Amino acid sequence: MRWFETPSFDFIKYHNIAYFISGALVIGSIVAILTMGLNYGIDFRGGKEFVFQFESPVSVTDIRNELTEPLGSTPEIKLFGSESEILIRTDAEGDITEVSDIIMSTVTAMYPDNPVSIQKTDLVGPRFADDLRRGAINSIFFALAVVFIYIFIRFKGWYFSAGAIAALAHDVLIVLGIFTVMGEIAPFNVSIDQAIIAAFLTIVGYSLNDTVVVFDRIRENSIVYKTMEFKEMINKSLNDTLSRTVITSVTTLFVVLVLFIFGGEVLKGFAFALVLGIILGTYSSLFVASSLVVELQKRAMNKAKS
Amino acid sequence: MKNQNNGFKIGSIVVFLGLTLWYLFPTIQWSLEQRHMESLTETELVRYQSDNNEKLQSLRERSLKLGLDLQGGMYVTLQIGEPQLILELAGDNADDELEQIINVAEEQAVQNNTDFVDEFVSEFEARNPDGLLSRYYRSDAENITRRSTNEEIATYLRTQRDSAVTRAMEIIRSRVDRFGVSEPSIVQQGTNRIIVELPGVDDEERVRDLLRGTARLEFRMAAEPDEINASKQQISTYFQENREELEEQGMQNLLDIFSFQGVSQYSFGYAAETDTAAVNRLLSMEEVQRLIPRNTVLMWGARPFAFDSGTGLVELIAVRSQIELTGDVITEARVAFEPTTNAAEVSMTMNSEGARRWSRITGANIGRPVAIVLDGYVESYPTVQNQINNGRSSITGIGGVQEAEDLVNILLSGALPAPLDIVEERTVGASLGEASIQAGLYSVIFGLSVVAIFMIVYYRVGGAIADLALILNIIFILGILAGFQATLTLPGIAGIVLTIGMAVDANVLIFDRIREEMRGGKTLRAAIDNGYSNAMSAIIDANVTTFFVAIILYSFGVGPIKGFAITLMAGIVASLFSAIVITRVVVDYLTREKTADVSFG
Repeated sequence: MRWFETPSFDFIKYHNIAYFISGALVIGSIVAILTMGLNYGIDFRGGKEFVFQFESPVSVTDIRNELTEPLGSTPEIKLFGSESEILIRTDAEGDITEVSDIIMSTVTAMYPDNPVSIQKTDLVGPRFADDLRRGAINSIFFALAVVFIYIFIRFKGWYFSAGAIAALAHDVLIVLGIFTVMGEIAPFNVSIDQAIIAAFLTIVGYSLNDTVVVFDRIRENSIVYKTMEFKEMINKSLNDTLSRTVITSVTTLFVVLVLFIFGGEVLKGFAFALVLGIILGTYSSLFVASSLVVELQKRAMNKAKS
Repeated sequence: MKNQNNGFKIGSIVVFLGLTLWYLFPTIQWSLEQRHMESLTETELVRYQSDNNEKLQSLRERSLKLGLDLQGGMYVTLQIGEPQLILELAGDNADDELEQIINVAEEQAVQNNTDFVDEFVSEFEARNPDGLLSRYYRSDAENITRRSTNEEIATYLRTQRDSAVTRAMEIIRSRVDRFGVSEPSIVQQGTNRIIVELPGVDDEERVRDLLRGTARLEFRMAAEPDEINASKQQISTYFQENREELEEQGMQNLLDIFSFQGVSQYSFGYAAETDTAAVNRLLSMEEVQRLIPRNTVLMWGARPFAFDSGTGLVELIAVRSQIELTGDVITEARVAFEPTTNAAEVSMTMNSEGARRWSRITGANIGRPVAIVLDGYVESYPTVQNQINNGRSSITGIGGVQEAEDLVNILLSGALPAPLDIVEERTVGASLGEASIQAGLYSVIFGLSVVAIFMIVYYRVGGAIADLALILNIIFILGILAGFQATLTLPGIAGIVLTIGMAVDANVLIFDRIREEMRGGKTLRAAIDNGYSNAMSAIIDANVTTFFVAIILYSFGVGPIKGFAITLMAGIVASLFSAIVITRVVVDYLTREKTADVSFG
């Protein structure tokens, strides 16, 4: 079986459309993040989180209303996996035992015939949350810096580094934007916690994987086809590696989709970030990173001439 | 040349595979043992475990560890109370200014994410340009004197902090050991944090008390009933008179949540357990503090004395500020039973110095109650019946045998050098862990199977070779994890799933390249050689960059993220090895004849 045996798509030709789509998505994401705020989970915000399991389905809205008064603030409540499991997130003051007792007694009073048990409790102190957040932000920036340096050394051109970093920032920003917008509507937990940061860095790694493979071919072709126009050569490199890009993306995407669908509630948000990341990572390697390299290289050349 | 090279490759495959199986063997044995033990009856099990104790323990230690998210349990991060420690080290030299400096330093340290000791010193120097910290810290034992520089004092404080953390870890370990958790893990994180992992534990409240209890035991005399009554009157009048004003300020009224009725003549009153924080806030108001006698402090009872519609009611007890005797004189503690009621209590024995002082204190206070205070809560306040000369005392009114045992355990492990705060706590129920592991496992198997089938359909023989590499890849990852004593977490499983997806990549790169070379007219052999060598730089670049990302994840992340990073690193190493070395050996073997016909689809 063979796909894309000898493709000859003109990727660079579509770069204006790609820039438009990417630009719109990035700007939309930034606007969403600025207006709605990042949807931090308790890891980065501090607070208390519980998963309660009932024997039969319960009403999230009823529980939210009933709990608001005893907790002193409206808790965030979501279904967790099934209709009879709920996730409660609150920043109510007090010892974690006190808070879980309050919730427990309230829900038992509401559903006396529906036995309930605690599946999971998480507490993160506000100071600790600050530390975790700082660590996460540092790790993302540090990762980008290391990637920039590595590509710079390996490919000997700052425009390769810049193209790759721009593509990565593009992917991460859009996933963040989608997570922000989905905060309220997603039927699963999409708040940004430590696991999501791990997913982001994996996206960085994956998107890079794709980009580097294309760059590698560009480097090879630029030695073999010395006289070819830079734009042409990039197009050729993209086409040469297209079969591999598609196969790898499809298989990886498939595995991550399986994880998203069957991997259990705890991994849903994490797997979702990876699904988005792989789609975006593939797209950005094909349409954003390379086009940017062409553009930046052209400018660098013009500057050198003048 | 080629053959020699292959000999080396085959050798390394054998070594790698052998090491992997060597490291995975205990895990396999351990799971077989576990299955065996599940089939035994209770008595057989106890017998079997004691007979094979050493073997079982060593197997368990060497087998692949599952994270708490997979097996259920409790994960707690504790942070040592540096401000309290540094205040306490100053001892009697402490003054209001020192307290202010400490408070400011604490805020600064949080805001700037800096070391507390650094902030403390710089805040002191900002206030006292030429001042010496030795004003507060003079201890002959620690090589610091009145003339020590601030830098020397800072070093001293840091040493004290480090040793406090080390001691706290030892104490926690001893407490946890007595609690009877299998495979607890207690490690230090940074300069001032301790991470405690307790697999299989679900009695959260008990663990919290166990970890946080500073075990600071004090004996204090109860306050005079007359003084208490006068003070109660005044405070209650104050809240009555200022009811409206306080309400305007949005404050709760003490009279609504607190009853001045005494359970005994020494108690100040009582409140619902859930209201104690609010009561503390109201009582700490300056106007109210003035109405409490100077030598008196109010302390809550450690346990509810009664229940009212489901909530416990706890007593507020008035005791003297002066500490008569502290817990460091206690040499022994054990659970005892009160003869008439058979209620559990903790009986304690003191050393000779303590016994002498205890004898004097009890002799002078016959007929008056002495409060036994643990970590700022009054455990009990028995009335002294007669002079006690043998250095014995006991804590009564304990809820049950288990609580008495925990208390003994805390007392015996010793007092924590400084209070520990729980800054992070995560508990996963065992059933959720089991559901997660199943879901994760099924995803891995399903994802793997479909990708494997696809590879065969798309690359034919090449695909089958890649699949073999894929299976070995997973075994390698598990072996590397077991070998490095790493813990398999849920994100770790996700990491494996992801590596499966990406491991294919190296082979896809190679096989696509081989196809390309063949399209260019090369012979099978030449295409294979060129395919491997030409794909190599892309494979290396892609994997090295991902490996860098994994290293960053590992160094910045904590807990589950570290697990993910380790799996990712193991996955990259394993997939590079299996995709480059293993498939190459197999491909070379299949194409050893000139006429060989191996299809890459």
